[in-house]
Amino acid sequence: MATVNNLLLHKGKDVWSVQADSTVRETLQLMGEKNIGAVLVMENQKIVGIFSERDYARHASRRGSMLLEEPIHSLMTHSVYYVSPVQTVEEVMALMTSKKIRHLPVMENERLVGLISIGDVVKQIMSDKETTILGLENYILGRDYSG
Amino acid sequence: MATVKDLLKAKFTQVWYVTPTSTVSDALKLLAEQQIGAVLVVEAGKIVGIFSERDFARKALLPEVNLGTPVGDLMVRGVYYVTPDQSVESCMAMMTAKRFRHLPVLEDGKLVGVISIGDVIRQIMSEKDSTIQSLEDYIWVHMI
Repeated sequence: MATVNNLLLHKGKDVWSVQADSTVRETLQLMGEKNIGAVLVMENQKIVGIFSERDYARHASRRGSMLLEEPIHSLMTHSVYYVSPVQTVEEVMALMTSKKIRHLPVMENERLVGLISIGDVVKQIMSDKETTILGLENYILGRDYSG
Repeated sequence: MATVKDLLKAKFTQVWYVTPTSTVSDALKLLAEQQIGAVLVVEAGKIVGIFSERDFARKALLPEVNLGTPVGDLMVRGVYYVTPDQSVESCMAMMTAKRFRHLPVLEDGKLVGVISIGDVIRQIMSEKDSTIQSLEDYIWVHMI
């Protein structure tokens, strides 16, 4: 069964982050340039939160302001969830679904090694299921995998 | 194979929308209240666009944009849609290729629902699971 490690191999370990005192403006700029939906927020090389398009939309609405010069730490979600590289993609999917989150940082020995999105996870699970189906069909038809 | 119609049956389909003259603030309030990521923009019974959290985040940096800006200025025009008889797989392909999370469903030009990438994925996963289940059952009965 595929693990988080497999996902990271496919998508690379680039993680985009901003510092906790970065402004909303700087953060949105980065998200636009990289075409990503969320960034990690770091302080002293530790993750202190995550900031998503959703966080921005919700805060701007609640506070009735564009908040562009606000520091990002006042809008971020204090991130409590993360996964480790050896966890299975099914475990990650279950966590994302139950907590309704689209992104999870990947930590190994307290070091940040990646950020995975629900899209990455779904793609992997779909392709695992395809492989299982193909394997079962081949078994029934008496074909070996190379044929 | 499941169609869009099956998806719409499975969920309670309330379609939320705003009009092009609604303000960004109105639209964001609706997104928050209904816990959704995007709303359709409808004018005189016709879909004219879609407005998402992403559109807001991307365009917020433009100097002329604020919470009073009409949604019509920020929405994405030329909305793709599907019909009830289309297969769920074809929706998935469209959503993946165009990177959409939501697609309106039109029947005879009338809006009858919205499907999300989550609905589509759940359906496809459950179809694959039942395929796996029946192949395994077949092996147990016939081959072991």
